Amino acid sequence: MDLNGKFEKALEKVQKAPRYTGGEMNTTVKQWDACPLRFGFCFPDTYEVGMSHLGLKILYGLINRESWSLCERFFMPWTDMISLMEEEQLPLLSMESRHPLNEFDVIGFTLQYEMSFSNILAMMKMGGVPVEGKNRGENDPIVVAGGPCAFNPEPLADFIDAFMIGDGEDVMTELNRVILERKEKGLSRLECLKNLAKLEGVYVPSLYDVAYHEDGTVASVKPNCPEAGDTVKKRVVTDLNNTYYPEEFPVPYTEVIFDRIMLEIMRGCTRGCRFCQAGILYRPVRERSLEKLTELAEKLQSSTGYEEISLSSLSSGDYSCLPELIRELMTRMKDKRVSISLPSLRIDSVLKESLEETQQVKKTSLTFAPEAGTQRMRDVINKGVTEKDLLEKVRDAFEGGWSSVKLYFMSGLPTETEEDLDGIADLAGKVIGEYFNVPKTQRAKGLRVTVSVSVFVPKPFTPFQWAAQDTLETIIAKQEHLKQVLNIKGVTFHWHEPYVSFLEACFARGDRRLGAVLKKAWEKGCILDGWNETFRYDLWMEAFRECGLDPAFYAYRERKKEEILPWDHIDSGVTKAFLWREKEKSEKAETTKDCRKGCNGCGLQRWKGVCAYANGSGV
Amino acid sequence: MRMVAVFEKGERIRHIGHLDIQRSVQRGLRRSGLPVAYSNGFNPHILITFASALSTGACGKREIMDVTMAEEVSEEEFLTRMNKAMPPEMQLSEARAVDQKHPSLMATLRAAKYDLLIRDAEQAEKLIAAIPAMMGKENIPAMRKTKTALKECDIKPLIHELKGEGQHIFATLTLTEKEACKPGMLMEALGREAGIGGEIRMLITRTGLYGLSAEGELTPLEKL
Repeated sequence: MDLNGKFEKALEKVQKAPRYTGGEMNTTVKQWDACPLRFGFCFPDTYEVGMSHLGLKILYGLINRESWSLCERFFMPWTDMISLMEEEQLPLLSMESRHPLNEFDVIGFTLQYEMSFSNILAMMKMGGVPVEGKNRGENDPIVVAGGPCAFNPEPLADFIDAFMIGDGEDVMTELNRVILERKEKGLSRLECLKNLAKLEGVYVPSLYDVAYHEDGTVASVKPNCPEAGDTVKKRVVTDLNNTYYPEEFPVPYTEVIFDRIMLEIMRGCTRGCRFCQAGILYRPVRERSLEKLTELAEKLQSSTGYEEISLSSLSSGDYSCLPELIRELMTRMKDKRVSISLPSLRIDSVLKESLEETQQVKKTSLTFAPEAGTQRMRDVINKGVTEKDLLEKVRDAFEGGWSSVKLYFMSGLPTETEEDLDGIADLAGKVIGEYFNVPKTQRAKGLRVTVSVSVFVPKPFTPFQWAAQDTLETIIAKQEHLKQVLNIKGVTFHWHEPYVSFLEACFARGDRRLGAVLKKAWEKGCILDGWNETFRYDLWMEAFRECGLDPAFYAYRERKKEEILPWDHIDSGVTKAFLWREKEKSEKAETTKDCRKGCNGCGLQRWKGVCAYANGSGV
Repeated sequence: MRMVAVFEKGERIRHIGHLDIQRSVQRGLRRSGLPVAYSNGFNPHILITFASALSTGACGKREIMDVTMAEEVSEEEFLTRMNKAMPPEMQLSEARAVDQKHPSLMATLRAAKYDLLIRDAEQAEKLIAAIPAMMGKENIPAMRKTKTALKECDIKPLIHELKGEGQHIFATLTLTEKEACKPGMLMEALGREAGIGGEIRMLITRTGLYGLSAEGELTPLEKL
């Protein structure tokens, strides 16, 4: 039986076959033989997660737009499909033309969260690509990766040939050209990797040697060839209006997590919350113009038929002409029955006016992220939001006819005390109070307050990159405490699995030696770690033990100022000195102002013309 | 006015369930920009019905939708614009404008024709050879799945036509809102007759949906 026949046979038995069948509206199936450069875009999680990801849509459109390159999608199959594929001896096939992964010239993984790392190994293995870079031969694809987790690429250094650091739009095409050149000129793998290393924003880990101190900390990271620079600067797209954005999104047949138009209104955030890695990685803040956005919204609406548009960014409330944008979109979309939703609303920037307009079409639940329960704790993390702000916005929302509110918090932040935990319950109680303050005739029925408390994971390139994570024992005790204090009528309490957060903390700030742990854990059967039903904490701990590494070294250890961090050779634009200053301020619960109110000298001012708010005066 | 249109559910997307097919058609209508009518209410939806839900796993050559339009549209324009807006696996082949009083498709539906491709040639031969013997019986018991249980029923009166050729079995089976013989039920009975113990892998294609003409003849639903 040919591949297609075997695949069809597996599809008859598998659950949720539509995940694997493809053929969706607005997908592109280019002539395989007519395209010299074939890019396999790999999302290392299930179809439903991957198809919700904006980066996939951007790069998919961008690569397929070039006449000389094609892009096809790959997702992580679920366990039942994996068994069927093994039974039928089926390789991992692309969604579009059903070519095996190893027939592509370059395969690219997007790194959105650490818990997807084992899926990367699994997908390569299933696709017939040698899992470790050192075992790849001249006929094997070049394996690249990008996305937020590429900023600390070290735990994946054994498996990925080249990392793209920063915005992908420009570097993607440059990278593909270099790989096409390899193919046309018959360059060796090593020559190709060296050429890739010459591109700005590309990090080729095999061209660097890492040495360690006896205590396990990094002693040095040195390039081992002239093509590799001492540091790798992230790529920044400066003008979003002239940066590629798709006018069509693939429209899945089945429901995926974000099944709507995502309109990226801006990139970056000026708030400077100290726990937030995205807030640093996506600096500086850049906006798309109102004209460009309304044009894109109309095009995307008519090409997808979606019923909903969500404005996407780290902090949509900060978009400089948000009320105008919403009004414009509402006017244009009303007859088309499209609703506009605002995710990631920041509580100090919700405009009452916008709220009223949003619910003209459809009412959804409102999300607020105070992140911490007390003012002191919010000052430590520089979440410039007060209780008064929050309660005002909540009242506005209740008066405006909303009755469902979600509150997001973190537990385990540096310096957190029991008082801060009690503050979470206190705030939830006050939110309920605001609801009942609205006269019964004016408020909507069915109050629902959802309190989600996640476990804080210290991330590289944040002021907390030196911090220790709470131990599992502490986290569990805190969660028990929260369960008690949040036992309030009308409140639903959600918390995160602490074991996953512990492992996430290890890999977020891990070094190259973790590659061995990852490989061992995967060999033991760890895959789909982001899913409760497949996560195997016991196997991960076994893998650490067998590799002679202690997870506590990565998660629980407070780093010293002088320590060379495994990601220090990656330049995010923000300096280590700035981050350290922020760390010191956080210890004194001192806040730092929003960049829009004046440059804080984060380091981006060194790159001329990149940040609109930089004045070069910052130290 | 309403538009009755014939569309395909292609082989590649045969595992898509009915709800997802419905949503895909609705999004196609929204992409087409055609003036479709919406329901009133808080979450307005397009006024559309489908003659019959097609099972997950089955292809459809002539599935039928019935869309209420807010404005008059010609059949040609409906077809052209929809075919631009629909994915390759869900193209439309016909459209017919009917007035608001036209009877509902579901109420008119009487039978469906199927082309069942038996994946295994040997099995196909045995199955086809067993047709006369099975059809010669007074009744043909089969298990019908209800929401809660399996019930035995007689499918003999529900089989209008049954013949085979090569690896294909062609069947015309009753399909109404109340009563239906699913291809799986038929194949279970025929497999038993043919003495096939194991699984019978087949590709189900529903080739058409039928109602009764004034003369009592099975006639394609979209023509009625």
